[in-house]
Amino acid sequence: MDFLLLVGRWLVDPAHWQGSDGIPTRLVEHIHLSVESVVIGALIALPVGITLGHYGRFGALAINISNAGRAIPSFGILVIAFQVFGLGDLPIVLALTALAVPPMVTNSYVALREVDPDIRDAARGMGYRELAQVLRVELPLAVPLIMAGIRTSAVQVVATATLAALIAGGGLGRYIVDGLATQDYVKTAAGALLVAVLALATELSLAWAQRLLVPRGIRLLNAPVAARATAFKVA
Amino acid sequence: MNRTRASVWLIAAFAVVATMVAACGGTTGGGTTNKGTIIVGGFKFPESSILAQIYGEALAHDGYTVTYKLNLGTREVVAPALKNGDIDLYPGYAATDLEYWNNKAGEATGDAAATTAKLNSHLQSQGLVALNPSPAVDQNAFAVTKETQQKYNLSKLSDLAPIGNQLVLGAGPECPTRPYCLPGLQTTYGIHFKDFKALDTDGPATRAAFKNGTIQVGLVFSSDGDLNSLGLVVLQDDKHLEAADNVVPILRQKVATDEVKNLLNKIDAALTTADLVDMNSQESIQHKDPDAIAKAYLEKHNYFS
Amino acid sequence: MEHGPFLAYVDPWINWDWLATHISLVLGALGEHIELTAIALGAGLLIAVPLGVAAHRSAGLRLAALGFFGAFYTIPSLALFALLIPFTHLGGTTAEIPLIGYNVSILVRNVLVGLDAVPRDVLDAADGMGYRPLPRLLRVELPLALPSIFAGLRVATVSTIGIVTITALIGLGGLGSLIDKGLVENFHTPLVVAMILSVALALTADLLVVMAQRVAVPWARPV
Repeated sequence: MDFLLLVGRWLVDPAHWQGSDGIPTRLVEHIHLSVESVVIGALIALPVGITLGHYGRFGALAINISNAGRAIPSFGILVIAFQVFGLGDLPIVLALTALAVPPMVTNSYVALREVDPDIRDAARGMGYRELAQVLRVELPLAVPLIMAGIRTSAVQVVATATLAALIAGGGLGRYIVDGLATQDYVKTAAGALLVAVLALATELSLAWAQRLLVPRGIRLLNAPVAARATAFKVA
Repeated sequence: MNRTRASVWLIAAFAVVATMVAACGGTTGGGTTNKGTIIVGGFKFPESSILAQIYGEALAHDGYTVTYKLNLGTREVVAPALKNGDIDLYPGYAATDLEYWNNKAGEATGDAAATTAKLNSHLQSQGLVALNPSPAVDQNAFAVTKETQQKYNLSKLSDLAPIGNQLVLGAGPECPTRPYCLPGLQTTYGIHFKDFKALDTDGPATRAAFKNGTIQVGLVFSSDGDLNSLGLVVLQDDKHLEAADNVVPILRQKVATDEVKNLLNKIDAALTTADLVDMNSQESIQHKDPDAIAKAYLEKHNYFS
Repeated sequence: MEHGPFLAYVDPWINWDWLATHISLVLGALGEHIELTAIALGAGLLIAVPLGVAAHRSAGLRLAALGFFGAFYTIPSLALFALLIPFTHLGGTTAEIPLIGYNVSILVRNVLVGLDAVPRDVLDAADGMGYRPLPRLLRVELPLALPSIFAGLRVATVSTIGIVTITALIGLGGLGSLIDKGLVENFHTPLVVAMILSVALALTADLLVVMAQRVAVPWARPV
């Protein structure tokens, strides 16, 4: 119990809220790295997954890319990026983007595949051409799973960004890594709490965004338990 | 449902095999004489592992059962480990250890013998003892790249005082709390840096940070073997912030028999800073293992004959 | 000697001499990695299956379990290790608690999905044949839920193997210690070897689970 008090005191200490090692700075660094990586990842993954899903091609690849992504240690990817590219944001964002891509490819592929073939036929029959069909008919139906994929990626990127501190990166992981190095377990616990809150906030806010984006009728269709095409945890 | 049972057995068998593989992976070392066991600990940087191996291998050759707990961490981990008997010995550095064990009282000087004597005065009540300091020294040193040196015409740390607010300092995360690091630079030299970047203690991140300009001044160790080849220049410590960080073994009095003390003092007396630089470069550039480096050193100096 | 990004000389990506002289180090790390993974998976299954069965029966427990483990799953492993250290100190326990928790998170979902998917008429038929609840669970429901459980086990296995590398940061061995060695010593070889072995281990383990599934559930093709 004493320990929790110490952590609480660390968190409210005004000295820890200013400067280049302050909570706001580290939080902004962490969010910046994460958002950049998820956005770039989405720009790559979503078109690929959606296209493959629409045409039904290379399904095995689209599904197994998540298996491959899960198998590659996130810690290792960061270190390789560091050894090839040196210090700075570039290696971190590269590594995080590589981790963000697989779940979004898989989820968007599966999302498009699950669109009822009858609906596809109906759209075709109504005269929709390829791109319009995708944008106006298939995508709205696919939004739940696509959002689930983005959500999975975002949470994993936030989690892995914690490790960026190991290659001299910024972010909330700095508190955990520095605390471990100096055996300051109050600092590590405080940093851990902050990271946990950020990860949960990411998950919840994207879940809420998903609710907003999905038409009510479609939301009612989805199974309550299996809300994702694939579980993906790498950090 | 025999198939279900079969699959359960399969998974259980896998787990058992895995555990056996893991158990067989571990090795037990140690000699067969009963002069007693000594556990040697070390800090989490290669030079400490090398020194620990040198002490340990010499003791083992002499008939002690030696086990190692290397790469434990910073002094915050190693010192308590010695105090409560998790380890029996670690290779310390006279001045920095003094300032740790005396709670930053500021007693260390450039005189190795005096510093070690002061250190012992604090260690005695804890059941510990420091032996004779070696001529080999490894101090904190602050380096800049050749470009930075030429740009500001730098040769010593005092030269940094007027331009400190344009420069970023990089070091391990413990630097802001160490008297010989950031606080010392501020009080002794009046240098106030623009920013401090927590990297690693004299490791690849620090070197990479020099390379891409993230930092202009970085903490290295004076016995590093790769500074020259990386284009890094150490600035002279003209106001003697860094005190006598001579290598000195620190042990529990329980294991400090005359025989042990004589052996370790003999090794220390012959160890020079040049030896440290050479052994460090074998590790950092040639990636040799600390135990191999230590063995080669001991053989070269005929400790094994 | 050529100049690399920040080294005085360039390290080959795999230094075969180093590898040849450090086989025992590498195998030791691999063995420890397998051990940590096996414990996390075994304990995860042991907790997730009964928990899933109980949650299947009780809507309240289902909500609570999914809610709690859903949140748990979101929290980064390094953060959980850091929070546990003051209580369980550096070592296997601190590493295993989050690893087991993540596996339970994955597997309990799959147990629930699997049990949910058992067709109503099969249950009725079993009741009609005189099955009592426990035998019905063990001989009808769980076997039919096995494909889903195995699917979850595959994901959990590969995930665990990846996350175990992070335990190196709290002083454990495993392939992560080789990655850390590569980082701290500015050395490519242990890093590359660890990455290759990690992926190979994940593929092998995945294959083993698939094979086990073929044995246990011959009527369902693994996804």
